[in-house]
Amino acid sequence: MSEWTFAYQAVTGGQVNYAAVGSGAGISQVTANTVDFGESDAPLTAAQYSALTSGTTLLTIPISDSAVIPAYNLPNIGNGIQFTGAVLAQIFLGTITQWNDPALVALNPTANLPAHAITVIHRSDSSGTMFAFTDYLSDASATWKTQVGKGTAVNWPVGLGCKGNAGVAGCIENTPYSIGPLEIAYQIQNPTLINYGSVRNGAGNYVLANLTNIQTAVQAGGTAGLPPGNGVWTSVSIIDNIFNDTKDATIYPITTFTYALVYLSQTNQQKGSAIVNFIWWIVNTGQSAGGALGYPPLPANVVALDDTTLRSVTFNGTPIYTGP
Amino acid sequence: MSDSQSSRAGFKLKGDTLLKGTVGAAALAIVALIVALAYELYRGSAQSIFQFGLPFLVGRVWDPVHQIFGALPFIYGTVFTSVLALLFGLPISLGIAIFLSEKAKSRRTMKYVIGTLVELLAAVPSVIYGFWGLFFLKPLLVTYIETPLHANLGFIPLFAGTPFGLDFFTAGVILATMIIPTVSAVSRDILNAVPNSQREAMYSLGATNWEVIRGAVLPYARSGIFGATILGLGRAVGETMAVTMVIGNAPRISASLFSGGYTLAAVIANEFTEASYPLYLSALIEIGLVLFFLALAINIFARFLVWRITRGTRTRV
Repeated sequence: MSEWTFAYQAVTGGQVNYAAVGSGAGISQVTANTVDFGESDAPLTAAQYSALTSGTTLLTIPISDSAVIPAYNLPNIGNGIQFTGAVLAQIFLGTITQWNDPALVALNPTANLPAHAITVIHRSDSSGTMFAFTDYLSDASATWKTQVGKGTAVNWPVGLGCKGNAGVAGCIENTPYSIGPLEIAYQIQNPTLINYGSVRNGAGNYVLANLTNIQTAVQAGGTAGLPPGNGVWTSVSIIDNIFNDTKDATIYPITTFTYALVYLSQTNQQKGSAIVNFIWWIVNTGQSAGGALGYPPLPANVVALDDTTLRSVTFNGTPIYTGP
Repeated sequence: MSDSQSSRAGFKLKGDTLLKGTVGAAALAIVALIVALAYELYRGSAQSIFQFGLPFLVGRVWDPVHQIFGALPFIYGTVFTSVLALLFGLPISLGIAIFLSEKAKSRRTMKYVIGTLVELLAAVPSVIYGFWGLFFLKPLLVTYIETPLHANLGFIPLFAGTPFGLDFFTAGVILATMIIPTVSAVSRDILNAVPNSQREAMYSLGATNWEVIRGAVLPYARSGIFGATILGLGRAVGETMAVTMVIGNAPRISASLFSGGYTLAAVIANEFTEASYPLYLSALIEIGLVLFFLALAINIFARFLVWRITRGTRTRV
């Protein structure tokens, strides 16, 4: 997001102040009306929808997509250790504790996995990345679903928490035999620093996440059946939609939307117009900038849905967006 | 009394009143601030206090998804790391202070350079210590201290577990390095304030340098050094960024130095921005309230200790 504000300012001269406070803060500040718009990797929960001031409508606008990768630090082993959702869940539940556990060896017979304890790393601050990851583990493991569940912050059964996406990456980089969920943007921007594994998708293929297969996943699970911008997005989950998808052979299974949250009725014409133009720019023109940052472009029909949503934003009952 | 004299006296009186009013207001502001802090913390945490009651303080589970909140692992982690910080930091701080005030007297350049460096270190932001701890100190501690200790003494619970460096031990060492500048700078000033007559009296009895320090200087400065220690402890208890970067952020209660832990300040920093429902937010604010009272309790206990130790002895500084 902050890269987008720079790019936007460079191209259009418009200035946007964006504070990266994390998804939860983004959501709570928007629902508390202290900011003009928010960004989050997780849609609003039912409780957050009901916490909105009555009579106000908060619009949900998918502005990019992203993926969570199992990043690890295994001396002398590169990318591509193979995982299934069930095995990842067992690692993060603490029931698989060794790298040479039979379940891992069975998935990676030629990898020469070391006889070493696994150090589990996760985010310490709550985040949309952890929401996506725990959402995926809940799909993959009934035990995870009941014992831990999904959320931006959960009670991790094992492991150590590090602060921020870069913090998780740093902890993995300097802790041999560790594994942790990482937003792929970090890996794309720092490909030499960190290795990551492939994850089995619904069709049974092991997929190493990249911009192409993330985009395929969004096509498969993030285009049909989306609610309108002013609808309830709580249960929208690409991860859930594609978990049992057997026909798309190349999709990466831990793929998620990032959302912007904007009020339907703006109370300040100038600000409202700046917000709408900025998000319009991200959704339409800015998508090409996203790829270099590790965020693949949105599918065309999501862009069309977003454009419809943005056209509905009003000030004093009049639509704000006036462009083409 | 002439006219000019009386008007001067009147002016002086006015000035006095003005001064008394301003400094009085400044002093009252502190009282008001503490009351406002405590009140706001209480108000914010009322929902959590009402819901969980006293068991909040002894609850061991922190599970935002299932709305179960307990503060014990955080209280434990805060106390554990602060004690470690004092254990590691106090001897070194005293060493620095004694060197600067007693040993480096004739070496003025050295005294000046080291003294300035100590004060400079106190001004380094804590996030810098955190970075340094995570990327430089942690790997060193794992390789040269944690792994050998664990390999040889792993049967003792204190050294059990797996040494990965994101743990109580690293947090304690980082905190120690952070309190050393404060404690040593204040202790040095206190030792400097010990009158020379104290030292000379002891030397005249034929005491050695060490005997003078032990028998005359340190006892004289005892309460002041305690004050410096409390200042350091205060910093350790409330330190947030540096600790959260190296402690592992795992709400666990373990006797092992090599176990991941969590502190009160760290959990607030980590989760406050994302507290997505009112009870969650309220529980975090109650953590803040607990931290507030813990800091208060430590101060009161330390004052009591100072009073007990200095009672009846001749300490002046």
